[in-house]
Amino acid sequence: MTIRNITFREAINAGIRQEMRLDPTVILLGEDVAGGAATFVEEAGEEAWGGVLGVTKGLAREFGRTRVLDTPISESAFIGAAVGAASTGLRPVVELMFVGFLGVCLDQIYNQGGKLRYMFGGKAQVPLVVRTLIGAGFRAAAQHSQCIYSVFTHMPGLKTVVPSTPRNAKGLLAAAIRDNDPVIFFEHIALLDTDGPVEDDDFIIPLGKAEIVKPGKDVTIVAIGRMRHMAMQAAEQLAKDGIDVEVIDPLTLSPLDEDAILSSVKKTHRLVVVDEDTPYCSVAHDIVALAAQQAFGYLDAAPQTVTPPHVSVPFSPPLEDAYIPDAAKIIAAVKATTA
Amino acid sequence: MSTVGIIANPASGKDIRRLVAHASVFDNNEKINILQRVLLALDAMGVKRVAIMPDYYGLGERAIDGVKLASLRVDVIDSPMTSTEGDSTVAAARLRELGAACIIVLGGDGTNRVVAKGCGSTPIVPISTGTNNVFPVMVEGTVAGMAAGLLALGAVDAENTTYQAKRLEVYIDQELADIALVDLVTSSDLFIGTRAIWDPSHIREIVLAQAVPGRIGLSAVGSCIQAVGAQHDTGMYLEIGTGGTQVLAPLGPGLVTRIAVREHHLMAVGDEVRLKSEAGTIALDGERQIEIYPRQTVSVRLTNNGPRVVDIGRCMAEATRRGVFQRLGAEPIADSR
Amino acid sequence: MAELTQDQLLWIYDRMRLIREFENRASALFAAGKLPGFVHLYAGEEAIGVGIMANLTDRDFITSTHRGHGHCIAKGVEVNGMMAELYGKATGSCKGKGGSMHIADVDKGMLGANGIVGAGGPLACGPGLMAKVKGTDQVTICFFGDGAAEQGTMHESMNLASIWKLPVVFVCENNGYAESTPVHYHSASKDIADRATAYNMPGFTVNGTDVFAVYEAAHEAVARARRGEGPTLLEAKGFRYFGHFEGDPLSYRTEEEIAKNKSNDPIDQFRRRVIDRELLSAATLDEIDARSKAAIDAAVEFAEASPYPELSELMTDVYVSYR
Repeated sequence: MTIRNITFREAINAGIRQEMRLDPTVILLGEDVAGGAATFVEEAGEEAWGGVLGVTKGLAREFGRTRVLDTPISESAFIGAAVGAASTGLRPVVELMFVGFLGVCLDQIYNQGGKLRYMFGGKAQVPLVVRTLIGAGFRAAAQHSQCIYSVFTHMPGLKTVVPSTPRNAKGLLAAAIRDNDPVIFFEHIALLDTDGPVEDDDFIIPLGKAEIVKPGKDVTIVAIGRMRHMAMQAAEQLAKDGIDVEVIDPLTLSPLDEDAILSSVKKTHRLVVVDEDTPYCSVAHDIVALAAQQAFGYLDAAPQTVTPPHVSVPFSPPLEDAYIPDAAKIIAAVKATTA
Repeated sequence: MSTVGIIANPASGKDIRRLVAHASVFDNNEKINILQRVLLALDAMGVKRVAIMPDYYGLGERAIDGVKLASLRVDVIDSPMTSTEGDSTVAAARLRELGAACIIVLGGDGTNRVVAKGCGSTPIVPISTGTNNVFPVMVEGTVAGMAAGLLALGAVDAENTTYQAKRLEVYIDQELADIALVDLVTSSDLFIGTRAIWDPSHIREIVLAQAVPGRIGLSAVGSCIQAVGAQHDTGMYLEIGTGGTQVLAPLGPGLVTRIAVREHHLMAVGDEVRLKSEAGTIALDGERQIEIYPRQTVSVRLTNNGPRVVDIGRCMAEATRRGVFQRLGAEPIADSR
Repeated sequence: MAELTQDQLLWIYDRMRLIREFENRASALFAAGKLPGFVHLYAGEEAIGVGIMANLTDRDFITSTHRGHGHCIAKGVEVNGMMAELYGKATGSCKGKGGSMHIADVDKGMLGANGIVGAGGPLACGPGLMAKVKGTDQVTICFFGDGAAEQGTMHESMNLASIWKLPVVFVCENNGYAESTPVHYHSASKDIADRATAYNMPGFTVNGTDVFAVYEAAHEAVARARRGEGPTLLEAKGFRYFGHFEGDPLSYRTEEEIAKNKSNDPIDQFRRRVIDRELLSAATLDEIDARSKAAIDAAVEFAEASPYPELSELMTDVYVSYR
């Protein structure tokens, strides 16, 4: 088994490539995913783009233009087409460039994709993956920086996955493609250039299983997506103060690995949830509610959340930096549970 | 001074031949543009009144809405709107009763056919906006408006600038059932369906009031054998099938095809021919209109009972000869600065 | 016109009649308070669904609308299951979980009635894309109403189908009203088919009360799609007898219009013409009438005798797998 250091971006590409090689019904579509027809240089065997951030570069060359399709900027049409194709025999992986574009195609994702199976009494399945970029930190302002995976997690019939490392990005994406339900797969823009060890071989990481990133005994930190890395920074500093935190990355938000979170809370008696999504009706608050309802007797302190405030993502760099949760805020929250 | 009537068919130029024969699309916004150019020309000529047939699309209202006229009054008349071809026949009769000097018709052969059923002796100015356009002419609306204006002003002689069209009269069991201005075809199609005729293998017999080389449609089968002018006193009968001659003819837009003609002969005005076809449909001016019941007899007579048609070229030429445009242009030119 | 066989003529009449019986009965059952929720009825538009579906096989797909019962019956969905679905019973087409607005039968290529106006356009591009990727000759019909014609989804999907040359036929069932708003108010283009030019596809309008015209038009459009030449926009103009939904007071419709609709009844037209042309006898057609009525009687009986779903059914069919 070969393990190589690759970026998160390359890992996503590898995950799609792996599944497209294994299953001819897997197709990829979205805006510029092939490279834009005009910039496709066949003689040179190159694609100029492979998506706005180059994530899907090279796939059109390997799998051809029938399976890797550039789309017009018509998110309703091509996501709806992906839902229709999924219910009639393909496994489409469709790219919604930024999650902020949800507003122009939500109906097709949740009223159609998320509900067909239930409305049809189980007589349909929608093996669809919607990949989409999330996250602040790129000075991209309010419409290109949100997380809002809580919105999708709220919706029955959809599964939601937030990878955090190159390895779990590849493995979870492959699992999402093989899954027979519609999965929304959230790729954090600030993670694309991060790297880490990933097996070259085919593998999947099953959906619905949380990862214990760092075991600890004093406080449970549940950290989603990029926040896992913030939590690890905080953990290092807290260790110097003698606080041994356990860091859990849920990876899949729906279905959530409730057992992993509850057993950790029952062990540490303290809970901090770190989430880059805005706080109201959020996954962070759901996890707090979970602990309150099912592990109340075990809690030694009120659970804490570390989230951005209830505002849109600002553009100005100092404001955006203040918006994003960081290690200092996490440390403060942990200390609030141990005070 | 008299009124100019206008009948614009919102359904012309849009049948299934867009799908089966790449026919050009005559969308209704373009018909509105044409109407506006007609109205501007009539206004500039000094015509005072125009009456337009109402239709579901509101072609008349939309044309009026988007155009600035000096002194022309335009009314959309009160006439039934059933979205069937009968609307144009009734409207033509109303315009005739209103004393219209002429009726401008926007449509193809089919539209002119139904207008001809109601317009009596009122001359028509046919502008092509159809799929089959043998009867109407491709003419700029502005010029058609000017020609109509000349007639309404009495500036040209109506006798000299119009001609008497022929028509084909269809008799079913000796009763006059309908008419055609250009062509009548029997088809093996059982039902009227989408009306258009495009598959040559379904055609059985063709009767033509005119066969002008260079026009497309079913009359081309005749015109590729022998020319029969629109203003000649003859027509033509053809039976489709092997055993006679074979021609390459433009049967429709994009459809230049071989067709076998078993027998053909000229008909004089007044001649009647009994059709051989039994079950099937009869298409009039390119559209299936009549479903033939078993045991019915069908005959066709060529007559001179068609509408009077304005010859736009002759109209304009006579106006020039008479100095009409110089007279109308003599008023001081408005200072536009 | 493509020749219609005796069997096809019988099938056409049988389906139109069965739809009419189903809808008239649904209206009566709703009025009697027997059906939960609300229903949108197709009576009057039978010639459209049946004329189109006469050109399809079970392998072809359709996406439907909130007014979907007629599409279901024409596509071959069983009326017992449909009626039970309207009652919310366990034996319904969707186990009682969808109801009138979501009847579906994927095995029959019926990808669901839809409660969202204009949602079927994007969905229909899906099986179209599937057929293209897999290289099959399956065709998808996208039914939408004149109201849906004003949704952005329809514009997006007609454009997408055209640039990808998908084997999809877009069928606009123009019954004159978007709920109660007349088409001449809501559409800048009075003929929806006019829009086809902008999508670089053929478009034309047919009389949606004449099943022969619809059949013939669909025959050409479906053949074009099967040949891989891309999508077509077909507009079928017709009317609905009932309101937008059952309970709609219909105050926006004149007596004159109602009388005109009756005189254009698609089933009466068919009967008259095939009898006059001596293609089918009145006795044969009467027999089909009786059979349709009996089939709907049986469907109601079946639905009423069927149990409601077990409460455990509440939680099933959300996901294929819960991990």
